[in-house]
Amino acid sequence: MDLIFDWFRVLYQETGINLPFLYDEYDRNRMVDGFLTTIRLSLVCLFFSVIIGVIGAWLQGSGFKWTRRIVNGYIQLFRNTPPLVQLYFFYFAIGTLLPRVENDWGGQSPILGSFAWAAISLSFFAGAFNVEIFRSGIEAVPRSTVEAAEALGFSKLQIYRDITLPLAFRVVLPALNNNLVNLVKTTTLAYAIAVPEMLYEANQIWSDNVNVTEMMIFLLLAYFVLVGVLVGAMNRWERAMKIPGYG
Amino acid sequence: MNCKTDLPVMLPVSKPEPEPFCGLRAWHILPLALLAIFGPSLAFAQSDEGVLSPLAVLMNWAPLLLKGFIFNLVISVSAMALGTVVGAMLGLGQISLIPAVRGGSWFVTQFFRNAPWLVLLFFAMFLLPFEIDLFGLKIPFPDWLKAILGLSLPVMANVSEIVRGAVNSLPSGQWEAAESLAYTRLQTLWLIILPQCVKRMLPPWMNLYSILTMATVLASIVGVSEVMTLTGQALASEGGRPELLAPFYGFVLLLFFVYCYPIARFTVRLEKKFAVIG
Amino acid sequence: MRRKHLITIAASLVVSALSFTTAMADVLETIKERGTLIVGVKADYKPYGFLDPSGAVIGIEPDLARDVADKLGVDVEYVPVVSSNRMQFLEQGKIDLMIATMTDRPDRREVVLIPDPNYYSSGTNILALKSLGLTEWEDLRGKPVCGIQGAFYNKATSQNFGAEIVAFKGTAEAYSALKAGNCAAFVYDDSAIVAKTNDPEWADYEMPLQTIDDAPWGLAVALGEENFAQMMSDMIVDWHKTGRILELETKWGVENTPFAKAMHEEYK
Repeated sequence: MDLIFDWFRVLYQETGINLPFLYDEYDRNRMVDGFLTTIRLSLVCLFFSVIIGVIGAWLQGSGFKWTRRIVNGYIQLFRNTPPLVQLYFFYFAIGTLLPRVENDWGGQSPILGSFAWAAISLSFFAGAFNVEIFRSGIEAVPRSTVEAAEALGFSKLQIYRDITLPLAFRVVLPALNNNLVNLVKTTTLAYAIAVPEMLYEANQIWSDNVNVTEMMIFLLLAYFVLVGVLVGAMNRWERAMKIPGYG
Repeated sequence: MNCKTDLPVMLPVSKPEPEPFCGLRAWHILPLALLAIFGPSLAFAQSDEGVLSPLAVLMNWAPLLLKGFIFNLVISVSAMALGTVVGAMLGLGQISLIPAVRGGSWFVTQFFRNAPWLVLLFFAMFLLPFEIDLFGLKIPFPDWLKAILGLSLPVMANVSEIVRGAVNSLPSGQWEAAESLAYTRLQTLWLIILPQCVKRMLPPWMNLYSILTMATVLASIVGVSEVMTLTGQALASEGGRPELLAPFYGFVLLLFFVYCYPIARFTVRLEKKFAVIG
Repeated sequence: MRRKHLITIAASLVVSALSFTTAMADVLETIKERGTLIVGVKADYKPYGFLDPSGAVIGIEPDLARDVADKLGVDVEYVPVVSSNRMQFLEQGKIDLMIATMTDRPDRREVVLIPDPNYYSSGTNILALKSLGLTEWEDLRGKPVCGIQGAFYNKATSQNFGAEIVAFKGTAEAYSALKAGNCAAFVYDDSAIVAKTNDPEWADYEMPLQTIDDAPWGLAVALGEENFAQMMSDMIVDWHKTGRILELETKWGVENTPFAKAMHEEYK
């Protein structure tokens, strides 16, 4: 392993192609941490945005006019403003209004750090799209199916959980996957509030080493592979979950 | 879009009908949003005497921020125009009969669709030269032009997919009928297929524009003097007073909402209008 | 004609950041031909370079740049730069001259041409809450410390003292994060921090540590522009001789720094 790393140091000395995250231990650790943070942030946001979508779609079917209106307001607000500004607004504006806690270095720090705010903000952003996606799926479930379930004595929650949602989920999977792939790409925005994800770490490295070109190409390839793997997995899943004869 | 059978297995997916925003008409939103943003600032206003209230400070900077926002719109329109033209060609390349063109177009489309917008923007920013020497004529490449190019890359890839999707969504009978009438492939595409596609492409295209407009703030991260950059600099000039952050970023949110929300409503209306019955 | 038209439109839309320049052998000729000196300055670094509400860049460094333009008999145009792009802009020829709070370091001298003597100086220090009672750099170990992307002392602070650097794009974000308590301290140039601690808004904060890496600031021109560099050397000597730097410090509300005083004594 060290042999390979050393080879890249030689590569730099010989050709000027500088890939310090391969031969410099400090930079390598940063890059690996960045990659893991991107993955972690993506997973957390994927999870919560789907939860928000499911709950939001359920609330949208509620009988209360105001519940529907609030959900709608949320969707329109988050869909029609830039996610970067949302992130800033959450982190700098709302973050400072929250109560503070004593931290381990004797100061007062906000309850939520930059990672948490990035996760919250991006989940809400992607969640706004997911609500609409799930709702379109729920509408695709025929009334008669729900009525049949009612006749069998299912409760409202049971119908949503056991009948409507599983059917709707399969219908909306392509749209949902598309949105989730977008979400993974959007995690790069967390860079702006100094969440140490891949882009942030790459930026630190090119600031220190003045090797923008190499880092840029590496980043493009890294995301191409990361998103490519995700798209491939999602497509397989779509095929496996497909409802025969539909669509 | 309702099925007429009694026992459908599954209904076709429909776009949800948008309710008016909290039951309000579009113009209601402006005063409400203003209140939401400036309300808290008004509370602050009473506390200090020597220092300007956050609202007054924001009013001071608002003209400059508005100028920055107009610059965002210029970037978005230019990037959209550029991306659409190149993307349309790429999309047609994806349905070409020549395998090499098809494969190449597919790869370029996928590559730029999979890369995050921000990374592409960084790419354009740092790797494009400051000027191009073309036959002795020096063409300058200022920052904003690079931002436009950087943002038009993902637009291009998405437009390419929209074109491909729209063409593929037409029943193959259209192609076969045209062929039997002795149209050439180019004629079929130009006279029969594409005119029908325009309707299908318009709503997703407008969605894309909306997304692009919201992505223009990314240019701030690479140093273009658009609204977010100016907001940051204004905040720095005011000495980083924390109570200014909410009104300033809120103001930027408001600017985008006022611009993008009507576009979103209009898109939904178009979708409904163009929806094919059955 | 068409190009001029384009410039007019663009200039009215963009407040700054625009430039149409061509890199030639002698940039002085180009500047005179163009009638404008394009200078890269900071726009988020009060009081060295910051914005007024009309969008114009003001501060100590813009004033210095104006002196240079006056000497050349041309107009001046400011391009806001940040630490992570200022040298690239100069290399690319986007700006003719950079006066942007840049520390003069040997590795930077390989990329840009820094005329001697130095015009200013500052070291690295931190801004932190008084109540934290920090006394030495080692106290930062394991604590989150705000910084600015592209600043050279980020890596040093994290490698030598074990601080976790949280780097932001601009000072506004960093100051906000510090005030919100996201960081224990903000590592930055001591000259800016001194100005900050005099601000009543920041009365609870102090600059508690021994300044390290005290290093002079260099203004810079593109590599190979020897004539311009020679002219800038004379300018800087003149600034020190006449006490121009001290005068500007007073004008923008900074206490006169030891470096500026010493240089004034030396060249007087």
